[in-house]
Amino acid sequence: MGPGERRFSRVLLFFEDLVKVPLFGCRHCGECLLSSTGFVCSQNCPKRLRNGPCGGTRDDGSCEVYPDRKCVWFKIHRRSALLHRLSLLYRINGIHDWTLEGTSAWLNVFRKRAKAPALFVRNDARRVQEIARHGIPADEEERANEIVTNGLAGKD
Amino acid sequence: MGLQERIESRQFVVCAELGPPRSCNPDTVREKARHFKGYVDAVNITDNATAIVRLSSIAAAKILLDEGVEPIMQMTCRDRNRLAIQSDLLGAAALGIRNVLCLTGDYQTFGDHPEAKGVFDLDSIQLLAAVAGMNKGHLLSGFEMRCPTQFLIGAAANPFAVPLAMRIIRLHKKIAAGARFIQTQPVFDMPAFTHWMDRVTGEGLDERAAILPGVMPVRSEKTLLWMNEHVPGMRIADEYIARMRGATDPEEEGVAIAAELIDALKAVRGVQGVHLMPSSWESSVPAVVERAGLHVAH
Repeated sequence: MGPGERRFSRVLLFFEDLVKVPLFGCRHCGECLLSSTGFVCSQNCPKRLRNGPCGGTRDDGSCEVYPDRKCVWFKIHRRSALLHRLSLLYRINGIHDWTLEGTSAWLNVFRKRAKAPALFVRNDARRVQEIARHGIPADEEERANEIVTNGLAGKD
Repeated sequence: MGLQERIESRQFVVCAELGPPRSCNPDTVREKARHFKGYVDAVNITDNATAIVRLSSIAAAKILLDEGVEPIMQMTCRDRNRLAIQSDLLGAAALGIRNVLCLTGDYQTFGDHPEAKGVFDLDSIQLLAAVAGMNKGHLLSGFEMRCPTQFLIGAAANPFAVPLAMRIIRLHKKIAAGARFIQTQPVFDMPAFTHWMDRVTGEGLDERAAILPGVMPVRSEKTLLWMNEHVPGMRIADEYIARMRGATDPEEEGVAIAAELIDALKAVRGVQGVHLMPSSWESSVPAVVERAGLHVAH
């Protein structure tokens, strides 16, 4: 990111924050997962987990670290079920690029530094059934490997 | 026969867990290892469990190797970023450590340094993928290594935490990312465990990874009550608490309960072994293994 783009990213982030902070509690990680996490920001998890809850969720669905809060991933699961977007929870999300922290996710998607959001999910129930029967599809497994070569190498 | 061969040939596996000391004395590890040798197939070495500083899991695993016990090195994401994780894994591979269990790690405020910065640069699923990548010969940067690692990769699952459906999703992801064996939280509630296991077998996950439920021998009612109270995501049936309370010899009763649980778990479809978690009561392992008729011939 050059200095000009960095400035532009900051301006864009201002507008992004106007929407995403009050609505979703966005933490501006710069690699937005909201569309695949039922529009609940996973980055409010104390461990900032990007792939599902840790083993410490309490029986009432509260967080092991902050018992007065609900587990973020408990909320994500509930909301994803409500919105028929459960199949998106099977996605394996890559390792966070910390150089994108505090930058505009919209710009990062446009510049292909971050994955595009998932828009509409058709046949969510059937997709979930399919995974239950055959496991996570191969292209998604390949993505798990991709995590590994998807680091900072090759990024500008 | 090593752990990997046993898992691949689908034989019953017995693992146990060893917590390294809060000091630099290697003899403590050696002493604990004696309780496991000849009784179990492999031994987990915890990695600063419950966020309390202990002798490192790599060093303890090496001590175990030297004692002739196969170690499973636990690796958490709490204390290391991606550089340290990869370098420690390479170091472990160089020392001859072949098994690694990938965990997210307990949150730092639960331990003895609550003011610490938690790292969590990766999560357990990304760590699994990273180790699987190293087995294929590349690092997270994409760098191709001359000699790939050959780790047998494991992960953990909690059958008792809510919501169940989310736990199954996460298990799918862990297995897709590279986990070949799954150890669970200690089972003290058979119906809840079988309920989870029905989903696991129903989705064929037991065929893609060895499911090794946890069994914890306890020596007092107090331990059970404490866990029920303080360990999030634990479920303990009242039956066991009552039995420990009523026991004239609690240690004997603890061993008996563990052996009974193992018997019950062996009968559950899809279970390929057990993982003993004696948490600072390592000396109970031989008794539990013998009583459950698990004696491993080596």
